[in-house]
Amino acid sequence: MASPHYPDGTVRALLQTDLVTEATRAALLPRLDTSVHPPQFFDEATYQLLRAVAARIYPQPERPEPIELAPVVDKRLAQGDSDGWRYDAMPPDREAYRLGLGGINQAAQALFQRPFVQLPEPEQDQIIAAVANGTAPGENWQHLPIDRFFEELLAELTEDYYSHPLAQEEIGYVGMADVSGWHHLEPNQLEAREPEAAK
Amino acid sequence: MPDEEVLEEGVLNPVKPEIQDPLLKSILAENAGLLAEAPVELEQPAPLPDPVDEVDCVVIGTGAGGAPLLARLAMAGLKVVALEAGPRRDPTRDYATDEKAQHFLFWNDERLSAGRNPVAFGNNNSGTGVGGSTLHYTAYTPRAHRGDLRLFTDFGKGVDWPFGVEELEPYYEELEHFLGISGPTPYPWDAKRRTGYPLVPLPLNGAALLMQKACADLGIRTSPAANAALSARYYQEGIGWREACTNRGFCQAGCNRGAKASMDVTFLPLAEAHGAEIRAEAYVTEIERDARGRVTAVVYTQHGEQKRQRCRHLFLCAGAVETPRLLLLNELALTSGQVGKNFMAHPGMQVWGTFEEDIRPYKGIPGGLISEDTHRPPDADFAGGYLLQSIGVMPVTFASQMARKRKLWGQPLRDYMRSYNHTAGINILGDCLPHDNNFLELAEEKDVRGLPKPRVHFTAQENEQRMNAHAEKLMRQIWEAAGARDIWAFERYAHTIGTARMGLSGDDAVVNAEGRAFDVPNLYICDNSVFPSALSVNPALTIMALSLRTADKFLAAQQRLDR
Repeated sequence: MASPHYPDGTVRALLQTDLVTEATRAALLPRLDTSVHPPQFFDEATYQLLRAVAARIYPQPERPEPIELAPVVDKRLAQGDSDGWRYDAMPPDREAYRLGLGGINQAAQALFQRPFVQLPEPEQDQIIAAVANGTAPGENWQHLPIDRFFEELLAELTEDYYSHPLAQEEIGYVGMADVSGWHHLEPNQLEAREPEAAK
Repeated sequence: MPDEEVLEEGVLNPVKPEIQDPLLKSILAENAGLLAEAPVELEQPAPLPDPVDEVDCVVIGTGAGGAPLLARLAMAGLKVVALEAGPRRDPTRDYATDEKAQHFLFWNDERLSAGRNPVAFGNNNSGTGVGGSTLHYTAYTPRAHRGDLRLFTDFGKGVDWPFGVEELEPYYEELEHFLGISGPTPYPWDAKRRTGYPLVPLPLNGAALLMQKACADLGIRTSPAANAALSARYYQEGIGWREACTNRGFCQAGCNRGAKASMDVTFLPLAEAHGAEIRAEAYVTEIERDARGRVTAVVYTQHGEQKRQRCRHLFLCAGAVETPRLLLLNELALTSGQVGKNFMAHPGMQVWGTFEEDIRPYKGIPGGLISEDTHRPPDADFAGGYLLQSIGVMPVTFASQMARKRKLWGQPLRDYMRSYNHTAGINILGDCLPHDNNFLELAEEKDVRGLPKPRVHFTAQENEQRMNAHAEKLMRQIWEAAGARDIWAFERYAHTIGTARMGLSGDDAVVNAEGRAFDVPNLYICDNSVFPSALSVNPALTIMALSLRTADKFLAAQQRLDR
């Protein structure tokens, strides 16, 4: 299917208007900063590995500056934040990331004799697919349920990606323009601040 | 002998009786010497200040279980203090229309989810802050049906409640009026109600309209649902005007204008107007008792400081995970062996589809439309039943659930999410039977406070699985009739229920039919943990009804004692 896309700049422009409450603006504006900070939790090599993995799960070839997800994960793990629950079969989050990212590198070594970050994208994708299918080789998977690790990694990267205002623009979400509420709720009834997908 | 009391108090007796016994005399002298020589022990923790101000009632938790009874007790003239683990916030100033920024609404202390269907906590069902989980509830407020409370009588499975729905009806009526619930009158699945809803239903959004039309084609009755959000400006007794809902669609991450009837804009201001004190960021760790087993005080941590509040009665209203956790940690009310047992979670299966129409699932009250034709489906191969509802959804929640279920990644993931605006969902809320394998326990692993984390085991049993299969088939039919493509189902379980059940006997229940612990005469429990069965409707309204009833039963018992 031809994916719809929404006009660039919609959300950036909206955030400057009085259609957005101060609380919402204060939450979203800092997230537009996509610069990569030095890691606080991961060591440099593991951090670059996570960046490379995130870039295959959320490839963004069209963006001059991709939305960086590894810094968000790094910050959470450094702070020890939780979303309130964890699969009992999984070790604590920091240990799960250490084991899981290590397992991804073990799979890369086993299948292509090189660390993940040195592989071309098609080979990286094969590794991700093997983790997603639960077939990736590697000693670490003896200690970590591979299916749950992939689910948790995917869910966290997904929440971080779609929390970004530009990713919300990509899917045509403008709920952040929250001052006036919505008056046209019926299908196909849009309001002025709701972007129409380009054909 | 009137002097005896004075002597027993030990403070008003000015005479130091001389010790006659020579042996006792020498022992006392020795001890006195030891005490004088003993070094000052700096290592010893300073004893907690023990304020003499004993209050009538301490209420732990300010959600749907704690807030209504707090107001009721305060209005009866009692001195009441509520302890809330989370902070107090100002929704108009602090609430962003952003899912990530609203993370603070959820109980984010890590819980361990075990079993074959591990239950998600946090934003799925567990809140914190002054107002508890009502800060993030969808405001969906159907009443329980008569049959929901007598599952065992009707099916020979599960358990009956110790009373019938007629006990709850006066409270449902009171709540619908007080909170300003918007809903259909007459109610299609309960036409003989004594009272109607005070406000007309909220407008239907895209998902609700699609479901309405498809159900009509299939011969399934639907109606705009009862929601505790105001379809018009509403004057609430004791509080003042609350503004109407603007269809912002963000109920599950906090209403920023007080249109949704969360406890922080309804019962809690009412309670405070009548003298109740609410202490926020007060995390309870200990419940103290005297030799007779009566609760005497609660110990809590607030802003890094440990404090004690003495009380004559304790109301534990911390939800079906933290309530049994506190009981287990304090070895309180455990003789029935039922604390932590019978954990139930509502089957909440969702079915999603992609439509030609531009839906914009972020607009409008999320649960706009309901059908209760499936309350007792004629072709059911399971006990109990479920309700159907249309659902709106915010992008991050939707993306996260979709990723967990469909495991898309790379370009297909981004491509799928670009159809977000054309996505609409239906879900069920179904009954759940208690089962031995589903329970809460304390884990070895500790939280940041050094207390054991709760571990919750949940596996959907045959009854839930059959209900899910029945519901998935029906919801797929509805969405096919509505013209959806790429239909997929997400099996999930919502709400936390049943871990300190109510019953007729202390042999198989933790609290009696009035909500009082069988073991502890001045301990009441009121939240979803006391539900004997899960009900086939969302729990919030029934928790609030139980809360008012618990307060009334308590007050009546006090009057009997006073006479």
